[in-house]
Amino acid sequence: MKLSRRTFLGASAAISGATIAGALSGRAWAASDTIAIASLHDLSGPLDIYGVPSNLCMKVAVEEINAAGGLLGKKVELKVYDCQSDINKYPQYAQKAVLNDRVVMVQGALSGAAREATRPVLRKHKIPFIYGSFYEGGLCEKNTFCVNTGGNQQVVPLLEWSFKNLGKKLYYIASDYNAPRNFGIWNHVMAKREGGQVLADDYYPLDVTDFTAAIAKIQAAKPDIVHSCLVGGPAMSFYRQWAAAGMLNKIPIISIVFAAGNEHEVLAPEETDGVIVAYNYFQELDTPRNKEFLAKVEAVAGKNHPYINGEVFGGYSGVMLWAEAVKRAGSFERQAVLAALESGIRWEGPAGVMTTDGPTHNTTQDVHIIKVKNRVWNLIEKKEQIAPDTYGGKCNVFTNPNQTEFLMPQI
Amino acid sequence: MDQFVILCFAVVNSIALLALISLGLAVIFGMMRVINFAHGEFIMLGGYATVIANHAGVNLWLSMFVVSPMVVGLIGAVAERLIIRRLYGHLVTTMLATWGLSLFLIGAVTAIFGNTTLGVSAPLGNITIGAYSIGAYQLFLIAVTALLVVCSLLALHWTKYGLIARAAMQNAEMAATLGVDCDRVYATTFIIGAATSGLAGALLAPISGVLPHMGAAYVARAFVTVISGGGALITGFLSAATILGPVEALLSYFATPVVGQASLLLLAVIILRLFPTGVSSLWTGGR
Repeated sequence: MKLSRRTFLGASAAISGATIAGALSGRAWAASDTIAIASLHDLSGPLDIYGVPSNLCMKVAVEEINAAGGLLGKKVELKVYDCQSDINKYPQYAQKAVLNDRVVMVQGALSGAAREATRPVLRKHKIPFIYGSFYEGGLCEKNTFCVNTGGNQQVVPLLEWSFKNLGKKLYYIASDYNAPRNFGIWNHVMAKREGGQVLADDYYPLDVTDFTAAIAKIQAAKPDIVHSCLVGGPAMSFYRQWAAAGMLNKIPIISIVFAAGNEHEVLAPEETDGVIVAYNYFQELDTPRNKEFLAKVEAVAGKNHPYINGEVFGGYSGVMLWAEAVKRAGSFERQAVLAALESGIRWEGPAGVMTTDGPTHNTTQDVHIIKVKNRVWNLIEKKEQIAPDTYGGKCNVFTNPNQTEFLMPQI
Repeated sequence: MDQFVILCFAVVNSIALLALISLGLAVIFGMMRVINFAHGEFIMLGGYATVIANHAGVNLWLSMFVVSPMVVGLIGAVAERLIIRRLYGHLVTTMLATWGLSLFLIGAVTAIFGNTTLGVSAPLGNITIGAYSIGAYQLFLIAVTALLVVCSLLALHWTKYGLIARAAMQNAEMAATLGVDCDRVYATTFIIGAATSGLAGALLAPISGVLPHMGAAYVARAFVTVISGGGALITGFLSAATILGPVEALLSYFATPVVGQASLLLLAVIILRLFPTGVSSLWTGGR
């Protein structure tokens, strides 16, 4: 085609016209018969062990919703973005999802860094952010809803159980970044509450692979419990070296992050047997609803689908809770959906009953204390309906609607 | 007393680990002045070769000491033929090329084996020392590293190949005049360096596991050790490891691991400030 000046100008005008029209039609979805939501996950790179299964869970939820006739007469369309384990992609793709795809909800951004990069973008564009990963707790922001467990919902039940059943002296070994340090404060809160003792808070950089000195230090301290919040591939060396030093059967390890990266599958049973963790969900959960859920996962991803752990389960529960809120609101509008979520959406899923909590923008749910044996998790104790912490009343979007900063637990 | 023994163990272990991960790099960098950014990935490939061979039913020791060095040596041979050979003498270009190689190897391994791979667990059980217990495999690792270093020293100074290699390294032109095929010496050296890195990865697999991007955890420390060591091929990096290792181990124990890591880097900076060509310039006269 010969591009004359006139056709060029005409085409440019048409393009800018379309852009303006696009920008003006803020509610493009109102007329369409589909509604888009965005999945923002690392589907490649080192963090895809979390991103891929969480994205899968979102897909399962969307297919379930569509199979049941969609939402408010519209089919839900999942716009999937691969953030490639690169933090810069998160704000970029969040913006693209909002402006290009006109999504009405964004979920994903599992790591703390990804979450913090994404949150302000969605706040600015006024698109609700559903956060599906378990986390340190204390995020009480109007535009964000946390559907997985916050700090107190995992650490409190796990430490209550451990101080009662394993002993009073706890040694904390953790990766050195924000979330593990925050969980570390919870150890002290719980030790004070339960009459336990935290012998040490030992933080290791994320790339350490030699834990010889760490293990010697633990042996010297002689704790009753080792609480590990070591995260990532290199840190898995700790469990290998701990077992190689013959410590696995001597001092029990408890954790709230172990298995989130499917450590129990990567490591050998002789390196992990007996590790105790606390999650809202685990794949072996023996309930009819979980069987249904796993059948759907298999239908989407085949029999060899990745293990669904408590970390990635939020991909499913987040979309389902949001869908329930949309139904109650009768609208996809932010205000209406958030108001519905704040009114307390009760949804019974594979992990039991979950109820969104209005003031804290977090979710009340069951937590299971489980122990691994031969790569299989077994239930030790179920703690029912644990409410999110209110941080002494400070975690309240009704009284602090402009709150965006994290709250820290107080010892 | 127990504590003293354990601390000695931690210190020696720390030196041995630094030496083990640096040996292959020292051979390639020291002899050929090629900065091999894919060094971490050679270690990673060695780990994978052992894990995969072992899961396929090959005896663990055979996988470690035979399969891994052979596989990684072979990959090193291909890389040398296709990339390194064309870039001898171009320091910056080789850095870029080997960095590209490193990204390619990570991508290829992720594509083939995925992001999570089952490991092998450490054999040999554990040894109890008073109130402490340590993995016997880690003692074995220290012994093997010591043996490797001694063998390299002997090979370099007492064999004909060592003599030729040192000649090619000191003055390639003169060596070539005397009938030495320098290209061939370089190729062999690169393969030996790669195979050594492969062996290091294999030996580390039971205590560190294998992941496609595990190389990143080793490559920086290996470079710090080799560069602080300087010109003398084996004694250089060995002395650097002996200085840096204890500082890191002891400070990790008595202070925090962050302090330990930071002091390792700080000490390397001080060493290079005092001896810009590495500690070994003390006895090689800054060659």
